[in-house]
Amino acid sequence: MPRWRVLAVFLLPAFLLYSVFIIYPLVSALDYSFFEWRGIRQAGFAGLDNYRDLLSVYPYDQQLWRAFAHNGLFFAGTMLVQNTVGLLFAVLLFRYGRGKRFLQASFTTPYLVDPLVVGYLWSLLLNPTFGPVNALLEAVGLDSWALPWLGDTHTALPIVILVNAWQWVGFPMLLFSAALASIPAEYHEAARVDGASAWQAFRRVTLPLLTPAIGVVSVLTFIGNFNAFGLVYAMAGSTGSPAGSTDVLGLLFYRVAFVEGGVEAIGRSSALAVLMFVFIFGVSLLATSYFRRRERRLV
Amino acid sequence: MKRRWIAGAIGALTLALAACAPGSGSSGESDETAGKVTLSLWSWRVEDVKAYEKILAKFEESHPKIHVEFKPFQATEYNNILATGLSGTAGPDVAQLRAYGGLQPLVEAGQLVPLDGKVDALSGFDAKLLEGAKGHTDGKIYGVPFAYQTLQVLYNKKLFADNGIQPPATWDEMIAAAKKLQGAGITPFAVAAGPDATWTLPIVHEIFGNARYGSTAFRDAVIGGKKKFTDPDFTASVKLIKDLEPYFPKDVVAVKIPDVQALFATGKAAMYPTGAFDLAPVLKANPSLEVGQFPVPPPPGSPVTTPVTPGWADGSFGVNAKSTHQAEALELVKWMATPEFGQLYASELKQLSAVPGVTPSDPLLAEMAKNYADNGAPYTLLVDFRYGQPNGDAVFRDEVQKMLAGQTDPEAVSESVQKGVEQWFKPGN
Repeated sequence: MPRWRVLAVFLLPAFLLYSVFIIYPLVSALDYSFFEWRGIRQAGFAGLDNYRDLLSVYPYDQQLWRAFAHNGLFFAGTMLVQNTVGLLFAVLLFRYGRGKRFLQASFTTPYLVDPLVVGYLWSLLLNPTFGPVNALLEAVGLDSWALPWLGDTHTALPIVILVNAWQWVGFPMLLFSAALASIPAEYHEAARVDGASAWQAFRRVTLPLLTPAIGVVSVLTFIGNFNAFGLVYAMAGSTGSPAGSTDVLGLLFYRVAFVEGGVEAIGRSSALAVLMFVFIFGVSLLATSYFRRRERRLV
Repeated sequence: MKRRWIAGAIGALTLALAACAPGSGSSGESDETAGKVTLSLWSWRVEDVKAYEKILAKFEESHPKIHVEFKPFQATEYNNILATGLSGTAGPDVAQLRAYGGLQPLVEAGQLVPLDGKVDALSGFDAKLLEGAKGHTDGKIYGVPFAYQTLQVLYNKKLFADNGIQPPATWDEMIAAAKKLQGAGITPFAVAAGPDATWTLPIVHEIFGNARYGSTAFRDAVIGGKKKFTDPDFTASVKLIKDLEPYFPKDVVAVKIPDVQALFATGKAAMYPTGAFDLAPVLKANPSLEVGQFPVPPPPGSPVTTPVTPGWADGSFGVNAKSTHQAEALELVKWMATPEFGQLYASELKQLSAVPGVTPSDPLLAEMAKNYADNGAPYTLLVDFRYGQPNGDAVFRDEVQKMLAGQTDPEAVSESVQKGVEQWFKPGN
């Protein structure tokens, strides 16, 4: 049997599954977005009309940009909180090895729970009428801190970002831990011999060598945050409560496609899905090639 | 040896994929050989399986050649499952259909059989309720309406008696009652505006504001292009919600539906402005709760001076255009338009049957039915403004939540609703 046939046999199952469940839906969404829809009946080629509607029909014209901005904030907040804290945990665990296994395991356990469940759990904890968080705050005399956390337009999105970080902080921690372990100890010894302080050694030696890990974490965080749905849906409903202050692209897609379910739903929601895919895929490609170049400079 | 194993694995995979394909196999083939036809009936009421089995057993008694299989699906997924099911060959023969705008995608895709001239009893149905089962553009009837909902205030009889309060006859009496209850440490109105509750805000608005905006006359004027949602009367009706906010639970935009159901069921809230559909869950949470109901007295300045009970058709039962047993499917929907079915439906499911002449056995539901028959009005944002995107009630609920969060005012809410529906609504249609 020639080599290529053996290869083909091994690749075929994965390729089939990938085509049926990834490529086919992607291509059909693109196809659907160019047609006018009446229910599930195609009513003729529509060109870019669905895209135009999405950008010009009130209230989608406003909700689209608002949701996009919230995804941006979600990403920025996650980078700032989740990934820096993840890095901090990784460095601390690397330096002071005691209880490392146990702590690593505890930080990563929230992974095992679906974002929907995490969201419902936290919205129960933060419930202003029956929730224990505010009851606790009031019990210790911090009455002024017992706010309707998920009901205030200023605190809702930050709370969602924090809960998301609570769930996923173990992920950057694990990646950074692995990257830290792969940095040869001689580099740090050399830096110390040269009289570098702990901060200088971290800033000038460790951090640059973490570039590949930072790249991977950033790109995956970006993809995850711009596709956010389950957690936000569980905590803020399909409308991004309160008053749309937590609305993200995933929720907007869900509403256009399934909640309102007008006769135009399939065309418009497919158009939105295509826009999201193009943006996320494009930015991820650019970011990956940027970090590649940075890495090459290191070598 | 190894090679054969791989070939086998691929073969199995192909078979598995083929089995996943839609349209394979149809139900009840064995029955057909015995001369009996099996109809499949799809529904979004997973919780009603037992009741439907009882109801359908009665149908099979009088129609011995037909067997009906009740197949419910998750309500939130139902619309997509049904649209897909109707397009293939493994779909239902008879299906529970959403009303108004929710029915329209199926009508436009030509997936249902028009029932005009085929189900004679439909001519006796309430015209308002039949609208929910009609195609928006062709005006044909596509389903037999099964139930309707009414909107009113439910109240805790014991709390009212303890505080010396009577069901209010005027708006001012209602506000005075709310103040008195609040003074006694009781939440006057159980209203939620949290993440899961935005869809209830247009309902709260209907209950308190339907008479204030002018009820059916205003709705007809908007449809005819003579008035807009920016009308001062409509804006005043929106403002009522803001004015009543002090009597809602604290931090209302963070309060969820289960919270208010619990508040009302445990006697921490005295009044619950909601639909007939909430009666069963509230009584399930506290079976000993004594519940009364009243339609809200018109607020000062209302164009309509008698209390109004807004309502809408819940849905209907229609026939799949691709069904291979259309004659039998028609028999079933014909039976669903008879008082026999209506009475069974009302008593088994504790809902308001849409079949004319059926009176609910539950005294509270009977009062609601009477209110609706005497002074019913359409919940217009749902009934008339769900035929395009954005839905009228979707824009409304987002804007009212904003208003309760202090980010907008009643004028801006009205303007947004008008702007939203103008994207697709043309007056006079």
